[in-house]
Amino acid sequence: MAAVGRLAGGTLKRPRWRTGLLLALPAIAIFALLFVAPLFTLVANSFRTQAGAFTFSNYARFLGDPFYRDVLWNTLKVAALTTIGCLLVGYPFALYMRGRSARARNWLALLLLSPLLISMVIRAYGWLVVLGPNGPIAAVLTWLGLTPPQLLYNDTAVLIGMVHVMLAYMVLPLMGSLDRIDPTLVPAAKGLGAPGWTCFWRITLPLSAPGMLAGAMIVFSLTASSFVTPAILGGPKVKLMPYFVYTQATTTLDWPYAAAIGFVLVVVTTGLLLGYSRLLRRGRGEVVFG
Amino acid sequence: MSVAEAPPETAVRRGRLRLDGVRKALGGREVVSAVDLETEPGEFLTLLGPSGCGKTTTLNMIAGHLSADGGVIEVDGRDITAVPPHRRSMGMVFQSYALFPHMTIADNVAFGLRMRKVPAARRRKQVAEVLEMVGLDGMAGRHPRQLSGGQQQRAALARALVIQPDLLLLDEPFSNLDAQLRVRLREEVVALQRRIGTTTILVTHDQEEALAVSDRIAVMADGVIHQLDRPREIYLRPATDFVAQFIGEVNALDGTAAGPAREGHACEVAGATVAAMPPGEPPATGAAVRVYVRPEVVRLAADGEGLRGTVRETRFLGSRIRCVVATKAGKVTVALPFDARVPEVGEEVTCAWRPSDASLAAR
Amino acid sequence: MTRVLGGAFACLVGLFLVAPVAVTVASSLTATAYVTFPPQGITLRWYAEVFAKPEFLSSFVLSAGVAVAAAGVSAVVGLACGLAIHRYRFPGRGALEAVLSSAFAVPTIVLGIGLLQWFAQMGLASSPFTLLLAHLVLTVPYAVRLVLAGLAGLDRSAEKAAAGLGASPFLVFWHVTLPAVRGALIGSAFFAFITSFDDLTVALFVVTTDLQTLPVRIFNYMQYDYDPTVTAIGTLMVLFAVVAAVVIERFVGVARLFGADQDHK
Repeated sequence: MAAVGRLAGGTLKRPRWRTGLLLALPAIAIFALLFVAPLFTLVANSFRTQAGAFTFSNYARFLGDPFYRDVLWNTLKVAALTTIGCLLVGYPFALYMRGRSARARNWLALLLLSPLLISMVIRAYGWLVVLGPNGPIAAVLTWLGLTPPQLLYNDTAVLIGMVHVMLAYMVLPLMGSLDRIDPTLVPAAKGLGAPGWTCFWRITLPLSAPGMLAGAMIVFSLTASSFVTPAILGGPKVKLMPYFVYTQATTTLDWPYAAAIGFVLVVVTTGLLLGYSRLLRRGRGEVVFG
Repeated sequence: MSVAEAPPETAVRRGRLRLDGVRKALGGREVVSAVDLETEPGEFLTLLGPSGCGKTTTLNMIAGHLSADGGVIEVDGRDITAVPPHRRSMGMVFQSYALFPHMTIADNVAFGLRMRKVPAARRRKQVAEVLEMVGLDGMAGRHPRQLSGGQQQRAALARALVIQPDLLLLDEPFSNLDAQLRVRLREEVVALQRRIGTTTILVTHDQEEALAVSDRIAVMADGVIHQLDRPREIYLRPATDFVAQFIGEVNALDGTAAGPAREGHACEVAGATVAAMPPGEPPATGAAVRVYVRPEVVRLAADGEGLRGTVRETRFLGSRIRCVVATKAGKVTVALPFDARVPEVGEEVTCAWRPSDASLAAR
Repeated sequence: MTRVLGGAFACLVGLFLVAPVAVTVASSLTATAYVTFPPQGITLRWYAEVFAKPEFLSSFVLSAGVAVAAAGVSAVVGLACGLAIHRYRFPGRGALEAVLSSAFAVPTIVLGIGLLQWFAQMGLASSPFTLLLAHLVLTVPYAVRLVLAGLAGLDRSAEKAAAGLGASPFLVFWHVTLPAVRGALIGSAFFAFITSFDDLTVALFVVTTDLQTLPVRIFNYMQYDYDPTVTAIGTLMVLFAVVAAVVIERFVGVARLFGADQDHK
């Protein structure tokens, strides 16, 4: 019934679409010139030799070289492990949050989001101290009479740092999903004779799957493409694609090759997200991105 | 001069709305086609119709939120068709109330006065008066979401009235309230409207509401006004099949026009002669017509002139007794007063009514 | 029992979340010439070191300036674009929406290298302005999304009501539309500031040796020096973030900032 139409009576006689276009123009300009154009340049460059001739060799090199295949594989592995880590820490945390009062939940959410308010470089540096040879973990282990292992510049260090950054991205969609579960379902199942664990396993867990899936997708793709934390905590020893995009572009100065690695990274991460949104459209679900 | 104290005769002189051939197409569909309408100053007029009949679109054109594709809208002889909404003087109450969520009730009500650059002292006084008038005196400092639905509705009304508008436009203002509150608030609104005498246009799909509050009702369907008349006429003497079927329950009897009767117009229905009073031009003799009779106006007699039939069913409904009589023209539903004699099932009866209580239209 | 376990677990997660920051702050006070935790001795020497290094100050000024500009521009561009998408149909609207949502999916590092190559191709030299442009790509999509969420919560009848009460189109915008997206605008400005101020990935590709944002400066410094100066800067930045968060909480509320609550309050 609501008659949605054009609001009449404006003294302006400009067509409506032109007003819209005018308002959107700054955003269009920014994204055409600073997003679409650079990405096109990147794709174009990835098919060039350093001299500028057309070639597939950059991709052939990336996919043909066992070293770089290893880089790709390790990127996926670290992203997957981070996702699993976030699930293992985040799911119980979300369950804990769900049972608290609104006030407590606000504080817990703030705690969860607090790492995002602090500079990424500083955060990673903090882990450098925590995990470093003069840090608290080493101190405790030494005090116990143990030799502290090398905690830095390996996959574990990157994993710890990434779970720390990504936890909020897992817990928030998960909370959204858990909150949408009808609170009478579990008592209903209990009334039908299901013990607590079965209730969790058969009701809460499957119904929170959309949130888990959404969180997992976000965490996976953000981890696969993150640069700062792995660069600081892993260094050159941890072979991840973003790091090689960076070194190829700034140290080796092989721009076409850097472009090719970057483009493979885009395919890996956006391919995942696209597949996921496809999946969502088929089976009804709700996502909270970011 | 405050709204509350406005002497009726000065208030009543304003607010003559005229629509002449107003049209509007939305999304390629003609939603309102050539609507003509004229109100008396101080009148309470209702646009009644089902969803999508064009009543809200019409109201939005009166308010200026939609521009008419054709036709003329006049208030007190002034053509406002091309006037933007903020230069018209319409107090509108929306279905959602549309209170500004970030402002207090007092600021909401004061908004229109502020736009009119009314000095602060007078503004405060008028706001206080109008809030008292709608019974919200203690609520001035609250925010809309701290108010109940009924209070929000009153605040919206206060905001619309404080500007002393040419017209008060009400867009389904009671539909978000529960049944009891709805009736109470609409009584209040009618009483208030009678007191201040602002011409009021109500849009609703609720026929009972329309009958209860209106001086006149315009029944709309598919973008045209089917009938514009007083509630009693609309109810008893519907001009079209749509009006008859949309409002209440009706017995529709097919027959042939048989020329003028002693009272009203005679009509042959399944061998019997009945009479009804057509609201418009009487149909030509011999034309196929349909007679509309409300259950409440039918009286049962043992014999006499009218439709003969057999009682099939009786049911006590509290305020009424409902009977179904099978006649040659089909089933006739009759609503008898609760203390009437209840006929036996199987009894032979005659259904009769005063011709002026029934209607007749070509089919 | 489960409650106690849950509480203990939540405490552990809390510890995990605050550990790097807490350790950074504590070890900034160490008297040793290397970073250690627990700190040994207490000194403010490293804070003095920070202020003794003018390059850190100039980097801070650059970062803060670009971040403030990014915050303002994002809010304005985001508002205009959000209004356009929400209210109007115009050629390219679908494409714009697609680009805005895909901007979330493109890795920042790829954007960085893309901008590097594109700017080089265009012959655009590094400047605070190019840095701002690069950051807008990161911040505007958030701003648009927040504005759209704010507009979705606005009852269009409220605008009609204001017009009917005599407000001209500009006054309707000023008194009704703008307050409805006020939270979204503050939120997007805040996000934009944080994103820009914090960004290392894109900045690494856009900056030069003479023009280093604070994260780039710290990142480069860390490669060569392991003295507690960085922990002192870190502490200062944490303080900065805390103050910003408190201010924002005062004015908008953190929950609303992250879109957690749309309506109640």
